[in-house]
Amino acid sequence: MVTIYYVMIVNILYFAIMGLSYRNILTIFRRSKYSSYNTLSGSELVPSVSLLVPAYNEELTIIENVYCLMTLNYPTYEVIVINDGSSDKTLSVLISEFGLKKMSNPEIRGTIDTQNMRGIYHNPDYPQLFIIDKENGGKADSLNAGINFSHYPLISSIDADSLLEKDALIRMARMYMENPEEMVAIGGDVRIANGCLIENGAVQKVSLPRKIWPMFQSIEYLKAFLGGRIGWSHMNGLVIVSGAFGLFRKDYVIAVGGYRGGYPGEDMNIIIKLHRYMLSHKLPYRVAFCPEAVCWTQAPDSYKIISNQRMRWGRGNLKNMIENRGMLFNPKYKVMGMITMPYNVLFETLNPYFRITGLLALMGYTLLDMTHWRILLTFFLLNFLSGYLLSVGAIILEEIAFRRFKKLSDLWKMLLFSALKFVGYHQLGVLWRIQGHIQYLRKNNSWGAMTRQSWKEESEAA
Amino acid sequence: MFSHLIVAYIFIYICLGLIGLGIILLLQMKVSHNKEQHRREMYEQKHHDYFKYIQAHLEEEGALRLPPGKLKPLERKVIQEKYMEWIEQFKGDYRARLIQLCRDAGFVEADLKALSSVSFGRRLDAAYRLGGMRAEEAVPALLQMLQKGKYNSLSIIIARSIAKSAQKSEDVLEMLRILLSHGKPIHHLAADIMLESGMDASGLLLKLLDDPDPALVKVGLVAMWGQAVPEVMPVLGRLVGSEEKDVRAEAVKLYLSSNPALKDETIVHLMSDRNWEVRAAAAKALGPLHAAGSIPLLVKALQDANWKVRYNSAESLAALGEAGFEALCQAALSGAGIQREAALQRIELVMELEQEHSAIEQMVAYNKKRLIHDRYFGVKRKPVKRMTGVAAVGGDYTA
Amino acid sequence: MPESVTLQREQSTDVYHNLGERFKETSRELCGIMFLYCSGNPPQLESRVRDFLQQESGMEFEVLKDSSTQTLAVLLPGFTLDATHYQALLLKQHLLETMENVDPRITLTVFPGQVDPTPGVLKQMAESTRLSASPDIHIFTREEANQEPGRILIVDNDDTVREFLTIRLKMQGFETLEALDGTSALELIEKWEPDLVLTELNLYGIDGLPFIHQIQQLPVENTPKIVVLTEQRVERTISQCFQNGVDDYVTKPFSPVELDARIHRCFH
Repeated sequence: MVTIYYVMIVNILYFAIMGLSYRNILTIFRRSKYSSYNTLSGSELVPSVSLLVPAYNEELTIIENVYCLMTLNYPTYEVIVINDGSSDKTLSVLISEFGLKKMSNPEIRGTIDTQNMRGIYHNPDYPQLFIIDKENGGKADSLNAGINFSHYPLISSIDADSLLEKDALIRMARMYMENPEEMVAIGGDVRIANGCLIENGAVQKVSLPRKIWPMFQSIEYLKAFLGGRIGWSHMNGLVIVSGAFGLFRKDYVIAVGGYRGGYPGEDMNIIIKLHRYMLSHKLPYRVAFCPEAVCWTQAPDSYKIISNQRMRWGRGNLKNMIENRGMLFNPKYKVMGMITMPYNVLFETLNPYFRITGLLALMGYTLLDMTHWRILLTFFLLNFLSGYLLSVGAIILEEIAFRRFKKLSDLWKMLLFSALKFVGYHQLGVLWRIQGHIQYLRKNNSWGAMTRQSWKEESEAA
Repeated sequence: MFSHLIVAYIFIYICLGLIGLGIILLLQMKVSHNKEQHRREMYEQKHHDYFKYIQAHLEEEGALRLPPGKLKPLERKVIQEKYMEWIEQFKGDYRARLIQLCRDAGFVEADLKALSSVSFGRRLDAAYRLGGMRAEEAVPALLQMLQKGKYNSLSIIIARSIAKSAQKSEDVLEMLRILLSHGKPIHHLAADIMLESGMDASGLLLKLLDDPDPALVKVGLVAMWGQAVPEVMPVLGRLVGSEEKDVRAEAVKLYLSSNPALKDETIVHLMSDRNWEVRAAAAKALGPLHAAGSIPLLVKALQDANWKVRYNSAESLAALGEAGFEALCQAALSGAGIQREAALQRIELVMELEQEHSAIEQMVAYNKKRLIHDRYFGVKRKPVKRMTGVAAVGGDYTA
Repeated sequence: MPESVTLQREQSTDVYHNLGERFKETSRELCGIMFLYCSGNPPQLESRVRDFLQQESGMEFEVLKDSSTQTLAVLLPGFTLDATHYQALLLKQHLLETMENVDPRITLTVFPGQVDPTPGVLKQMAESTRLSASPDIHIFTREEANQEPGRILIVDNDDTVREFLTIRLKMQGFETLEALDGTSALELIEKWEPDLVLTELNLYGIDGLPFIHQIQQLPVENTPKIVVLTEQRVERTISQCFQNGVDDYVTKPFSPVELDARIHRCFH
């Protein structure tokens, strides 16, 4: 019986978060409808941004990516690609495409420890582009190197396989400018680009993915970003800003010691550290989500890659929760300590175990006494319907504010796959998460021999 | 046991009901939106010739005609949006003529009426469009709307409408005052909004700089970047002595960026200011000034705790001819720590940059510098091997 | 039957000759003229046009038919150019509403105005109406009569801006093409070799300074002049543009008159 209540409580909480999203959606819709980004994007008064693009073995996609990033609708910014000791030709394709030369006397102002930098490349014909070549040290290490070299007060981390919409950055900057002192981090909306028509480094025609793995993820992302993060952002309780696209105040990122090296989950880690820092210094702050700033990413479309990705997420989530357990139920950390962290531990990190034990108990119960099959059925229905309701809710949010998918058939497809998600995909998600936890515990035993994770896959994550 | 199940059943029924409602709502929204989209396209097609007519004759004297025939509400909306798009693109007579067209078509009147609607959505919609049509008569109502609402992103939309429509500088000032009354440091945003005004910028700026409220003064200062407004220079001179830390820093930066002639004592004063931004701006300004007394000051500033000040000082020294360069070399050789780093960095940059130039005059200058350089460091291609790697100059991230 | 062809030609030149003579007599007075052509030449066209024009009270008009080009010439004495244009769009809308399967093509101008009403010009107008590829109403201009245009490539992602610039520059007699993004603009410049590129700085594909550089490095005989028309108001960008050989820089919102002046300066 407990499990049924657990499921109901979890879902009521989800609904509450989504309710907050609903409260905000009209404002979001209006502000994106009535804001003219054209005048802002030419203005001298918009803060300058350094885009940091860590790249590890990205020779195939990096050129298109850099072109995309160099044509953003933004007044002053620079693109810093950090080649993290790639073993392929990432660096040389960049050098030959953009005619780059090694800078003989680069100024590196930052003091965060990173792997040794081998050189910085630049071509005056492309004044906003810099390439840092450094020894392999992982994604977080690359971001730190980028921070050390960057010239501007805001930084934005962008995955090398993601495409930003032309207005994405200026939309975030508008949000920043409305509250510049308190805004420490802003996350963007990540969407799945599989199936869309991509031309000239931009998504030209939006449609749903044709393969099933990306299709499931598409709905999952919609649910997580629109249904969840808008609500969390409203409470200032966001626990993660997607690594694929986020904007940060450089001074605070440095104040918390930059990104953490080695392990996955560096995007969640930096946000928790920022929360911690701001709250313990009693500074007013906000970590916000900007759903109108969109970044398109390529979703993994095979079982192997997606399971790896999810296991890594599970591992990262668990690690971050354990490392920051001190914040749990600590009134000093306000919303973060009292709501977000407990919520994450109970309903995200531990969720798989509750569900599985609950299911096993119920099944055992039913096996003992077949007359209770109705309870089992109720349990399944409860799970399915509440989950489906959340999906429908997220699609409605999308329909109110963004309407990226134009066709009626897309709507049917989304509704169908939202239902199919509960047959198989959902269960796999639970499994992957547990596998991730097991991985983490194993790694923990061999703490000394920390193997470096190649993050070719990392960059595919959101 | 069964009472528990009943709770679960109720939950299930509620979910089912909501799902049903949600799906119906979704379909209804999608269908009606697609239909509207379709009709919009149709109307755009229908008025294609009319739109061409307007664009071809904006220049000629005489009133432009309104679109022919009786118009449906959505049709009017399509046309109004088109007018507004043009208004945003054009300046001067063209814009004025289109605004007149909006008035003639009754668009302004309709939106003024909508401004007192019960629904907030309609009011905001009207506010946005009135700004787009530069409707001066809407300003008082808009100001009231801005005053009443809480500060959020929607206030910015109303504020922009006021800035666009206002014909009196008091209205713009009032709008800025309301915007800044929430205590958020949104001076850059406020300045950007202010610059949307169709009024003469220099008049507005003068008023802002003279305002007793330091927040408004700051907006004025921020807005002046990128605008050459000679009229305000005297006011700036006064603000350089301001008590407000931020105001002073901004004013000094602006004042110095116009390359004024400085007295020696002013220079000394500025170079020892407590605010690093002021020191950095002063160090930067000394380069092009060619004041003889500035070299020792700059050498001293090479030891400044702030990176930007050191950087600018080294840059200015390098710009001060052979004497400056010699001082730089001396600092690099005899100085220590951060001073040495800053000097060396600049020397390397100078040597490298000037190698690329070919003009004879610059060759002469370069050769002189080369001589000085070699005297200090010996004849080597690179001066002194610096530690490569990270953390070369020490930390500062404010810029 | 060669004779009849000659006969027709004489007849048709006569229409224009007569018209030309008439305009000469009334040369002081304003008169709008439009040529109307419908493919398939529907039989009631002329009467419908007459009926429609009669409805507008207090308006003088005259409808002439040229049998060789199958066009109708409508004279509207006292009409200015914009009034003629407005009348033309009313007429077109009326025809589209009342007749099935019509595809009216209209060319118009006003005398005295851009062109002199010589029989040759009138003939040219009628011909261009018949051969017009686009269903848009067309204004006949002096430069078109002279056929000595400069070529301008308009590069902007914004439909509104592109449409306006095209209309305006065409009326001034320039030959124009449009490109939506940087990459296709570069291709067009190489193929079409325009004299001037009027471009936004913010484009898809490639934009800003790299775009300017690419234009200058294209293997064309005469590198086109570059005029930038953009939202970008950052001072540093503007000066970088001038350093890199941009001929002029205009910020949006812009004054079309000023833009004209700057474009003309580039051509002289």
